[in-house]
Amino acid sequence: MKNTLVRFRNIIVIAMAVVGPGIITAFADNDAAGVATYSVSASIFGYRMLSILIPITIVLAITQEIGARIAIVAQKGLGDLIRERYGIRVSVLLFAILASVNFFVVVQNVSGIKAGLQLFGMPPVFLPIMTAILFFFIVLAKYPIIERFFFVLIGFYVVYIASAFLAKPDWGLAIRSLGIPQGDISPAFIYTSVAVLGTIVTGWGQFFINSYIKDKHVSVEHLAYSRWEIYIGAVITNIFSFFMMVAVAATLFVNRIHVADAASAALSIQPFAGEFAGTLFGLGLLAAGMLGAIIVPLATAYAFSEFFGYSGSLDETFRKSKLFYGLFLVQIAAATAIVLLPNINLFRITIAANFLNGLVLPVIFYFLWRIANSDSIMGAHKNTRLQNILLVGAGVVITIAAVFGGAGQIFGW
Amino acid sequence: MLYFSELKGKHVKTEQGIRLGRLTDLVFLAAAQPTVTKLVVDGGHNHLYIIPIRYIIKLNAVITIMDSFSVEAIAHQELYLGKNLLDQQIIDIRGNKVVRVNDVALQDKPVLTIAGVDIGIIGVLRWFGVDETFGRILRLLGKTITSRFLSWTDIQPLELARGKVVLKKEEKKLSRLMPEDLADHLETMSIRNVTRVLSLMDEELAAEVIESLNITYQQNLFKEFTPERSAILVEHMNPDDAVDILLTLTERRRAAIITNLSQHKNTEISSLLSLSNTPIGGLITPEYFVANPEETAMRIRQRIQGETQDFSSLSYVYIVNAQKQLVGVSSLHELLLAPSDKPLYKFMNPSLVVLHLTTPKTTAIKRMLKYKLETLPVIDDNKHMLGIVTIDDLAESILDKI
Repeated sequence: MKNTLVRFRNIIVIAMAVVGPGIITAFADNDAAGVATYSVSASIFGYRMLSILIPITIVLAITQEIGARIAIVAQKGLGDLIRERYGIRVSVLLFAILASVNFFVVVQNVSGIKAGLQLFGMPPVFLPIMTAILFFFIVLAKYPIIERFFFVLIGFYVVYIASAFLAKPDWGLAIRSLGIPQGDISPAFIYTSVAVLGTIVTGWGQFFINSYIKDKHVSVEHLAYSRWEIYIGAVITNIFSFFMMVAVAATLFVNRIHVADAASAALSIQPFAGEFAGTLFGLGLLAAGMLGAIIVPLATAYAFSEFFGYSGSLDETFRKSKLFYGLFLVQIAAATAIVLLPNINLFRITIAANFLNGLVLPVIFYFLWRIANSDSIMGAHKNTRLQNILLVGAGVVITIAAVFGGAGQIFGW
Repeated sequence: MLYFSELKGKHVKTEQGIRLGRLTDLVFLAAAQPTVTKLVVDGGHNHLYIIPIRYIIKLNAVITIMDSFSVEAIAHQELYLGKNLLDQQIIDIRGNKVVRVNDVALQDKPVLTIAGVDIGIIGVLRWFGVDETFGRILRLLGKTITSRFLSWTDIQPLELARGKVVLKKEEKKLSRLMPEDLADHLETMSIRNVTRVLSLMDEELAAEVIESLNITYQQNLFKEFTPERSAILVEHMNPDDAVDILLTLTERRRAAIITNLSQHKNTEISSLLSLSNTPIGGLITPEYFVANPEETAMRIRQRIQGETQDFSSLSYVYIVNAQKQLVGVSSLHELLLAPSDKPLYKFMNPSLVVLHLTTPKTTAIKRMLKYKLETLPVIDDNKHMLGIVTIDDLAESILDKI
């Protein structure tokens, strides 16, 4: 009896030491940009969109696991390793791509916050106040408190389940769509699929989980626990993606209403699922926007300090990591300024920006693949055959889909 | 001065013109004197040649090596410059991340040696071949950018073998760029204004800023300060720098400052001063002209016109790096011949003939005659320039003895 208790306690202690990176990163993939993408895609393609969720979950799980394993084994971030192995030119280019793609996502998240605030009747003036509070919180708060705050924001995602139920969807059709591919291979569907993929499996997510794990100092003995934490995070996250899409598909798609953004989705849901469902959807959007508006710019800042060797970590003070926090500040300040511009319709770019995110994935997968198979870095923890097949396969499929979908957009197929 | 970024990728040929491949890396000795020992040439098809440096005949746009070259394995104490030094994380003695190695600076005379590492933005831009364009654009905007450079003496060679670039100091002491930036700015002001600005700072910062000023300014400032104020500043200064300044003052003023020092500082400074109580010490003139490696020929010509009007003579421009270490020299003739936009480091002469305070006068004059130089720089153990000695002063003092 006593033995079981001790064992149980040990498991809890280890769990506390590894829980965080996988779940938080995965949930941040459902940021405001994610909510917007799900809303737009599900309002156009309805339940059919659900058929790509399972493959996406697998891709998310394996790529995040590889990123985490690299960080645990090498005790270095992805940026560190790429700079040391591929030199300065590759690093500068990759960082430039990553920073610009991420910035689009930051803008979407900040505008998610703005939309969330508006749904609750708050004027735009609250937006800079909100982002300022977020900034000071990240700079001043200690690391464990920040982590707890992330978990609080994640808690808000439950509202999507509620709004999905309020929308009274066709559950049978939803489940069937999940298992049996209902998609078509029209360029528009593929283009949108790459965008949905690009909002769940992200370049910044690859860098973020890596740096986060490094910050958390997860040891090699806990590799297996960390792996399961990531798998569970990937599955739970996509369960929430499922509910979000279902909520929109059951209301807007069924009634043939196309929305261009998450905020209008929240408003449009109300006539069909009730005002409460819409409010819940808006609350979720606000929490998602806050989570994304913190994590995505942090991912850029982490990548910068790794690529160029500056001190940068949530563990460190503002004084010591000025460039790190400075870069964080510049991004959310610039995004806030852009979002405050009158007459700007950012959600027009929702799908395009997330498509770009999907487009850069194969490049990042390439580096993951090279590093995770390197004897000198990974030793006994190299990729297994199955992991390599899945990783390379995902890279190839995404590349083909992105080229096909992108060409379709450009040439108007 | 050369940069690894400029060497990497150069074609390597034999005397007869047979193409071997491209230079991919260099091998160097991980020691206090980091001599480059071997070239790594990528011949394609996974063929790497490691060729000892002694086979090099010419190092221009193309690297030419002897026909009779042979390859050698890498030795125990040797490391790859590209693989083990470039792009690596630099950490300070406390383990704080400082920055990464962006480029490696080499000096090619008398033998190819690593001079230090470039840690600035210029070092990044050089890899894209846009460093000079970028500098030109900044100059159009009336700004200059100096490259941030760490001297080899700041790096622990032993740690390199363990795959780490560790500094000998704490980061704070390196990266507090502010006093130096401030010093650059102050050097454009009159002494009176400098005094006013310095009086607004606390002693510690003021001392740090003064350390970074050029010796003429330092001397003039200490002429203005009371002995008490001078003593407080000396307490906060690096003793080497303090001694350099004290040496430029009259003996009476120097003594007045020293008596105002605390017991501990007093002994330290006095012993350093007695060391410099040497033949050369008394002959040093602080009337010389220094410049940064990045400044262009045009800029130097303008600065000479503006800043040296009250000099009694000027023969050379001395080039110092960000750590104020002497790294090169250019004669006025060379300066006049150089194209206007060419930065100093491209045409300066990095192999220096120098004097130390302990160099005997006769050795000094022999050196001047041998190398046909009318002035020689005097440096301390940290390669900081103390001043110059002119051939006429030296000849006069030797004649006095006879």
